[in-house]
Amino acid sequence: MKFIVVGGGLAGLMATIKIAEKGEIVDLISFVPVKRSHSVCAQGGINGAVNTKGEGDSPWNHFDDTLLGGDYLANQPPVLGMCEAAPGVIYLMDRMGVPFTRTPEGNLDFRRFGGTLVHRTAFSGSTTGQQLLYALDEQVRYWETQGKVNKFEDWDYLSAVIDDNGVCRGCLAQDMKTMEIRSFQGDAVILCTGGLGAVYGKTTNSIINTGSPASSAYQQGVYYANPEMIQIHPTCIGGDDKLRLISEGVRGDGGRLWTYKDGKPWFFMEEWYPAYGNLVSRDVASRGIFKVCRELGLGLDGQDSVYLDVTHLDPEWIEKRQHGVLEIYRKFAGEEPTKVPMKVFPAMHYSMGGMWVDYNQMTNIPGLFAAGECEYQYHGANRLGANSLMSCLYAGMVVGDKSIEYCKALKKTASDVSNKVFEAEAARQKAGMEKIYKFTGSENPYVLKDEMNNYMTNYVGVVRTTKQLKDTDNKLLELMERYKKVGVYDTGGWSNRTAIFIRHLWNMFELARGIVGGALTRKESRGAHYMPEYPNRDDENWLKTIKAKWTPDGPQFSLEDVDISLIKPRVRRYDVSKDQVVKEEAEKEAASGKEEAK
Amino acid sequence: MSQKYHYLARRLHSFTGIFPVGIFLCVHLCINSFIFKGPEAYDWAIGLLNRSPLTPYIEVCLIGIPILYHALYGVWVTYISKTNTLQYKYYRNWMFYLQRFTAIVTFLFVFWHIYVLRIARIFTGAEMDFATIAGWLSDPTIYVIYIIGYLAAIFHFCNGIWSFLISWGITIGQEAQNFVSCVCALIFIAMGVAGIAGLTLLSKAAV
Amino acid sequence: MSDVILKIRRQDGPNSSPYWEEFKVPVAPKANVISLLLEIQRSPVNAQGKPTTPVIWDCNCLEEVCGACSMVINGVARQACAAMVDSLSKPIVLQPLSKFPLVRDLMVDRTKMFENLKKIKAWIPIDGTYYMGSGPKVAPGVQDERYAISCCMTCGCCMEACPYVNSKTNYMGPTCMAQVKLFNAHPTGAMYKDERLDAIAGDGGIVDCGNAQNCERVCPKEIPLVSIIAELNRETAFRGFNRWLKGKPKSPGYESAPG
Repeated sequence: MKFIVVGGGLAGLMATIKIAEKGEIVDLISFVPVKRSHSVCAQGGINGAVNTKGEGDSPWNHFDDTLLGGDYLANQPPVLGMCEAAPGVIYLMDRMGVPFTRTPEGNLDFRRFGGTLVHRTAFSGSTTGQQLLYALDEQVRYWETQGKVNKFEDWDYLSAVIDDNGVCRGCLAQDMKTMEIRSFQGDAVILCTGGLGAVYGKTTNSIINTGSPASSAYQQGVYYANPEMIQIHPTCIGGDDKLRLISEGVRGDGGRLWTYKDGKPWFFMEEWYPAYGNLVSRDVASRGIFKVCRELGLGLDGQDSVYLDVTHLDPEWIEKRQHGVLEIYRKFAGEEPTKVPMKVFPAMHYSMGGMWVDYNQMTNIPGLFAAGECEYQYHGANRLGANSLMSCLYAGMVVGDKSIEYCKALKKTASDVSNKVFEAEAARQKAGMEKIYKFTGSENPYVLKDEMNNYMTNYVGVVRTTKQLKDTDNKLLELMERYKKVGVYDTGGWSNRTAIFIRHLWNMFELARGIVGGALTRKESRGAHYMPEYPNRDDENWLKTIKAKWTPDGPQFSLEDVDISLIKPRVRRYDVSKDQVVKEEAEKEAASGKEEAK
Repeated sequence: MSQKYHYLARRLHSFTGIFPVGIFLCVHLCINSFIFKGPEAYDWAIGLLNRSPLTPYIEVCLIGIPILYHALYGVWVTYISKTNTLQYKYYRNWMFYLQRFTAIVTFLFVFWHIYVLRIARIFTGAEMDFATIAGWLSDPTIYVIYIIGYLAAIFHFCNGIWSFLISWGITIGQEAQNFVSCVCALIFIAMGVAGIAGLTLLSKAAV
Repeated sequence: MSDVILKIRRQDGPNSSPYWEEFKVPVAPKANVISLLLEIQRSPVNAQGKPTTPVIWDCNCLEEVCGACSMVINGVARQACAAMVDSLSKPIVLQPLSKFPLVRDLMVDRTKMFENLKKIKAWIPIDGTYYMGSGPKVAPGVQDERYAISCCMTCGCCMEACPYVNSKTNYMGPTCMAQVKLFNAHPTGAMYKDERLDAIAGDGGIVDCGNAQNCERVCPKEIPLVSIIAELNRETAFRGFNRWLKGKPKSPGYESAPG
């Protein structure tokens, strides 16, 4: 059995460990040295209902919050699986030596996060992602010394090798130093390739998150599910090169959002959502800030920003818990956040949508798996804070086990497949590369990306309208036309990052069209997808997964029912507690029942 | 095995810098300090060491070999470092550089010093006493060489104490290290002033 | 928007000869060195107005947690993302790290740092990923100490500034020493403490430190490398004496961590 894991973030490393632990050998292909993967940027924490604070929390409650947060768009069984496994996953990470923040007794401490009323988020200062990633990186390094893992770092995944029966038998990748393109045999190819922030440009994502491998798989026939579900994180700070995240954990630790109204501080979130206050789910918080700045014109100095205030908290205490985040603010905003409130504004942060996978994390191409942000499984229409780290780890565990099961059941393995299949795909990729080397036009690829970024950020963000979405789609078509006139500037055969970028650029265009097309398809408002033209959630028609299928003429969309077998969707409210909503709904139902009886 | 010896060799280098080389330096300077009590006291003090039957063995085993080891291994250690004080202009980096610079100066000075005042004597049979040394130091060139050599040696010694305490994990925290750093600076100043005074006294005495 | 002059030491590949190239780049508010390099990508023209190839460098997160964008900026090794243009003296001079094999322009290959981590067994040995209950309790004070070290992003700034990390030595560098402490301070990791101490008592180990203390000064994460090294000096010394005075225990496998 041969395994290929693509991507060295949390999901990829966890999958690698799971497979290596079973005695199998893994080729781990990563765009960057795995220790520098984007998981490193996650700040606030990781959710698991351990109920150590006497709040009556349970995995079921976690499950319920997650579904509600995601506006019920997620298939329920895998989400329940994740929530049930979550405490165990946190304990596992603890055993691996993650320096989680402790209680006085030396136990794990938990903080509050968005979309919930309980303390469910384990954390390591405010660099939880970094700490989790490093722990896995260390375990993988151990397996490397045992000869179970072969790392290919600074290699770019190009495409899957698919045989005549439509089964994935390996992949192609390129060494970004020597520019050598080679094929890898693999009975299971596991894509853990993360998000697509670069499609939006200035976001909280790393610059490497172009979504290129996911786009490549999509162009090879993998369904791309719920592409329009893009999370805009409410609290980020501006910058010339990127927007930087200020963790939701800051609000979890007591940070408050406010702006001036009639010359006085106005804690708008607390006023609008008395039950959850500043810790509503992210889509709601982002819309709240948008409303303040764009609709009411009450942004600070009339600009796009509001205050995120921690000045009322004990500086020493908050420093200890949020050092990483406060340092980022100090360095990049140049002000002292414990003295002057931080100025924040929403920015693109995460993609809930992604490659379509079944409950075994396998895409519709047999043998091609996906886990982590690049797939769509766990977050529905909006992700709760601190659920991403958990979903990456959990999906990594699932895909590790399930890919082994899949390989064991295979009658024909990758080594039985004719070499011609690999050669043909290699020839296709090499030809593509040669074409890029010969690009001599006048269009600068980075400028094309900027233009796409502007449209995506302005028109496919918090508030969407049909007209603007259509404009964006036209712009994308224009850019794809102009792509043909791109110049590569650099024709060197050594570490030619420009040529690689040009390849990614096309893949970003394809994904962007999927996102815009998905947004145009969904005629309702659900989670992160908000269209004033269709202001309400429409479960009757749109409680569906939108699946994009790539065709040369643009994406085609189909609908799939969502598995809601475990919890009946409720109205989504954060102004009152869940119990209150349930009670009110029951009353309403009883009333309507009586009416009918009459 | 080479692994084990790498550690041992380096630590032995650090150790010999203080025990016995540093200790010997102090004893040597204590003896020299008798200059302040006059020529007779000075001659008596030097004679004390010369009269002991153990002196040749002490000189070879407890002084000669360790100095040689410390010096030669030290030259190697200096050779393999790549100084970058012009890029990283931090106080401790300068001290690091000076430690190595004074090492080379001290190395040259001490071997010359030993040769002319100890080894050459074996062949010439010249008597080592106040008069000889005073005459010797009255030459301004030699006087200046001695001042430079002496300052280099005590700098290397004082800064070496600081470094030794870290290398053996005695001063761990920043505050402890800073405190020792101040103490070492004071010792350097005190030894420097006394030494220069002594050397000057000797150089003037011959006239 | 004002312009800034950027002098970049470029090299097309490991075997090509280096050359300097100057760029004149417009500076936006809150720009960092990365934004200048991104600007060069958008218009790859040098200060003489000649078209050139875009400069190649490493960067990912742009918020100083991934450790990718280390380079020598105005003579000092640091993260390019955290180097705000306003705070730098002009012209800005960029050079690749000199202690690692060069890939191209400002990009270097830091694989050796990751390889060093293998030598010191920088992991907590676990019995498996299956459910075995919670981890050991850890005192908040110990956690604090470990957390500070665990923020090390293997950026290589300490290696670059260390006079003893160079082609004449095998010194694994300050960061590696800190990792030994990170794992030795963990209750499970401590079970194999001696093995890690032995690993840094060998060639390239802790004795190669010359106490220049540049490492702590340049560390972007402010890891107390100096005290950590001093403490390990003590522990390796005790370990050495103990090993010699007590002798090795007879039972096989006692000392060996998995791996």
